[in-house]
Amino acid sequence: MGWLTKLGMRLRALRRGDEVYREIAEEWQFHIDLRTEENIRRGMMPEEARQSAERHFGNSAYLKDVSWDARGGGLVEALWQDLRYGLRMLRKSPGFTAVVILTLALGIGANAAIFSVVNALVLRPVPVYAPSEIVSLAHEQAGLSSNGFSYPDFDDIRNQTTSVFRDLTGGQPFVMDGLSMKGQNQSIWMDFVTMNFFQVMGIRPALGTFFQPANGKIEGSDPVLVVSYSFWQTHLGADPNVVGRSASINGHPVTIIGVAPKGFGGIFPILDTQGYSPIGLAAVTADSPEDFLTDRKAENLILVGRLKSGASIGQAQSALAVVARRLSQQYPDIRKWHSLQAFPIGPAGPVSSASDLTGIASMAAFFLVLVGLVLVLACLNVANLVLVRAAAREREMAVRAALGAGRGRLARQLLTESLLLALLGCIGGIFLGIGASRGVNAINFKSAIPLVFNVSFDWRVFAYTFGAALLTEILVGLTPAIRTARGNLTGLLHENPRTGTARRQRTRSILVVAELSGSLMLLIVAGLFVRSLRSAERSDLGFDPDHVVNLTVAPMQAGYNQAQAMSFLKQLLQEARALPGVESASLAATIPMGYYNHADELTIQGYQTPPGQRRPAAGYNAVSPDYFRTMRIPRIQGRDFRDSDDDSSPYVAIVNEEMANTYWPNQNPLGKHFVVGTDTTHPIQIVGVVKNSHTHHITGSFYPYFYRPFGQSYHNPSSIQLRTELPSATAFHQTLDLIHSLAPAMPVFDVRTMRQALDTLNGLLLYQIGAVLTASLGILGLLLGLVGVYGVVSYAASQRTHEIGIRMALGAAPSQVLRMILGQGLVVVSAGVVLGALLAGGIGRLARDFLSGVSPTDPFTYVSASAVLAVVALLACFVPARRAMRVDPMVALRHE
Amino acid sequence: MGKQKPELPQGTLDMLVLKALSLGPMHGYGVGQRIGQLAEEMLKVQEGTLYPALYRIEQRGWIKSEWGVSENKRRARFYMLTRTGRKQLEVEEAKWSHLSLAIAKVLRTA
Repeated sequence: MGWLTKLGMRLRALRRGDEVYREIAEEWQFHIDLRTEENIRRGMMPEEARQSAERHFGNSAYLKDVSWDARGGGLVEALWQDLRYGLRMLRKSPGFTAVVILTLALGIGANAAIFSVVNALVLRPVPVYAPSEIVSLAHEQAGLSSNGFSYPDFDDIRNQTTSVFRDLTGGQPFVMDGLSMKGQNQSIWMDFVTMNFFQVMGIRPALGTFFQPANGKIEGSDPVLVVSYSFWQTHLGADPNVVGRSASINGHPVTIIGVAPKGFGGIFPILDTQGYSPIGLAAVTADSPEDFLTDRKAENLILVGRLKSGASIGQAQSALAVVARRLSQQYPDIRKWHSLQAFPIGPAGPVSSASDLTGIASMAAFFLVLVGLVLVLACLNVANLVLVRAAAREREMAVRAALGAGRGRLARQLLTESLLLALLGCIGGIFLGIGASRGVNAINFKSAIPLVFNVSFDWRVFAYTFGAALLTEILVGLTPAIRTARGNLTGLLHENPRTGTARRQRTRSILVVAELSGSLMLLIVAGLFVRSLRSAERSDLGFDPDHVVNLTVAPMQAGYNQAQAMSFLKQLLQEARALPGVESASLAATIPMGYYNHADELTIQGYQTPPGQRRPAAGYNAVSPDYFRTMRIPRIQGRDFRDSDDDSSPYVAIVNEEMANTYWPNQNPLGKHFVVGTDTTHPIQIVGVVKNSHTHHITGSFYPYFYRPFGQSYHNPSSIQLRTELPSATAFHQTLDLIHSLAPAMPVFDVRTMRQALDTLNGLLLYQIGAVLTASLGILGLLLGLVGVYGVVSYAASQRTHEIGIRMALGAAPSQVLRMILGQGLVVVSAGVVLGALLAGGIGRLARDFLSGVSPTDPFTYVSASAVLAVVALLACFVPARRAMRVDPMVALRHE
Repeated sequence: MGKQKPELPQGTLDMLVLKALSLGPMHGYGVGQRIGQLAEEMLKVQEGTLYPALYRIEQRGWIKSEWGVSENKRRARFYMLTRTGRKQLEVEEAKWSHLSLAIAKVLRTA
């Protein structure tokens, strides 16, 4: 046959596969017809003659497939044919196909979802010009890392680092203010930034202009406001004429001059900053001290720099080290900077130390490892399933080899089939992943502050998913193909299908042991996180969060000055106490686990700071009388606040036990004095001591903390808290009515029960997310392990049907058969549990930083997770074992 | 089915097909019949192996096929020997007679 004919045949085979089939069919039909005629001549009845002739072809559809193999043989047509054949084979066993595709889809989908979160939190660059040049600064002083700088620091650092930084900008991030426009009040989250902020970021306004640095020598002389794109869209109705409109921030008139570009989130990209004003306005509009632009101790700016193109972060470090030394010499009493460093800015924003950066990264790595483990489990499982099928199809393969299909050709056929499976699984996985990351996006973080948590599927997520999928394809696809290429196929044709299964069984058992150990690792991690959540939920908060409702009001945002706000709050409190069903009511500047925290340095007479420790400092809250009754924080000593504790009377405080024990050890703290910050004109006298309670985080140690009377320490916004036996909806309703009857335009937010307030970012939310995430992965792992064990045991049992028949015919009791099969499963399960527990020790160590109230080697978790896995796995063994037990010896013996 | 009759040693079917076709072009059914006749019905070629063998040999270029009209006036695919096929047959025949001679000698001694 000439090459031209050959080519023609191949092309024909490729282009018109059906025609090749038709030709084969016609040829065979001709054969059958002739044979039938001959059979009739020999005396058969016509019907019998035809049946006999057809029988000679046996399974003709199958034979046609392999004949097609022999007629084809070119690469392209073979591939095409493999695909068709593969699809047909997959369709023929829908159960197997569905399980494999679902398993892979779950594995890949989980990876895509977790990675998209990591991407959003760690990897995605900040939406500014050349984001890799942007760094944030942080310093270390007395063992304490901070990224707070004063305005004079900013000036000094900026002027002394021009060799490495193109420019340095600073800002007071994320301050809540009240915006009034056309008589409407709303709260707005502001960044107060230096005039060059937008230049340093290298972004252009979506509308209008940004600050003009040339306009004023003094920072903040311009009463102007730039709003964020999303704020403009959602709060200002996307008004195209918004530029030039007047508004007021906390009652101070400003002009809107521009809209920031879409997606730009300010100093902290993850926070939804809604407006930007010059730093100087912070002094007049926010509750910043008026001299903060000149006060070197007012460390409330975050500094962000843009490196000169070509300058490395290392060069920046050395330049900054010089500045740190110089400033420490210049201001020895307040500047003792151990280090001054630059850090890259990720989506989470500026960090205050290198350990912050590694903390985020190790969290991300930890979850990627966990979810990677799920993918490995899925692959092991699928490889196992594919091996079962390959074993069942070995005779088919042997027949095809005998008919002339090359060994490579057969391997390719299997590879095509597995690749097809993996491909379908990956497609499923990508869809699952997109769905899951949408789900993550929809999580309500119950945060008082607006977050931009944009978990979208960008090219990084696609690349990662694609990589995971590719790895899966290779792992899953190659397993059976390699086996086929190595195996002695023609030998198998003559081989009893039962022989030679022992070796195969061993491979599969090892795979299942690996799988079970992986499942156990995931279960143990899930157990640790769930225990951590439980311990957080049960931790003694030091206050009673039940039957308390919180509402936050912001009189300053409604344009009230301090005196007006105080009288409003006083009246509100008075009338709230008179509401039906209210046991007690009080005011507080902050709510535990809330966003606002106040803390300051203290000057304490007679207290010597131990060497190497930070200066005395404590967190504080400003509260009204009855606060401790409302929160049910027991008072140990002294008195509660009174209405008479106001600006005109001596300053007083109630401290927690921790503060009393830390700064006045073995002394009676009552009557002692301390000074908050630099306010030496108002020394504060301790009038009471209360029990410790958690204020910032739900678990962990207690910090020194004190309470000041609201009348002596006004804060805006402030919360009213009510203890009531009424249903919370009723309580909220009547309190809101009361607030609006007193002040119709008053902004009210964070309307929550104290229990709900605990489910926030600073409270239980992270524990909950961790527990849900690890538990989902654990359940996924358990399911995969279950499928794996069931598959291997039931296959082994079915392979031994003949042997079981013989045993039972020779007198073995069904229970002995059950024991035999179960015993085999038991070996695999125990090996998996032991290996898994050992490996979990390693992964638990990684998890240590993310756990609280539970040790990473918590025996309870290890034992219960192992027990759950063992029970489930043995149940999976039991089903096939029971089936084997019920085998009818006669059927089994005839079984071939 | 064919269990009473001896199975063909591996690789010999191809040679028999070539031999059958060396007598002239023939369709698949005829090839099977012709081998049977030549072996005086001591051999029977199964359809399940005959056709794959034909396709395989065609792939190797030893035979070619085309559609023609059979003795009973039906469309049938006819196979015929190519020049390489004829050479291959000679080679195989030589190899086979050498081999069978050798085997016969061994068996006689035993």
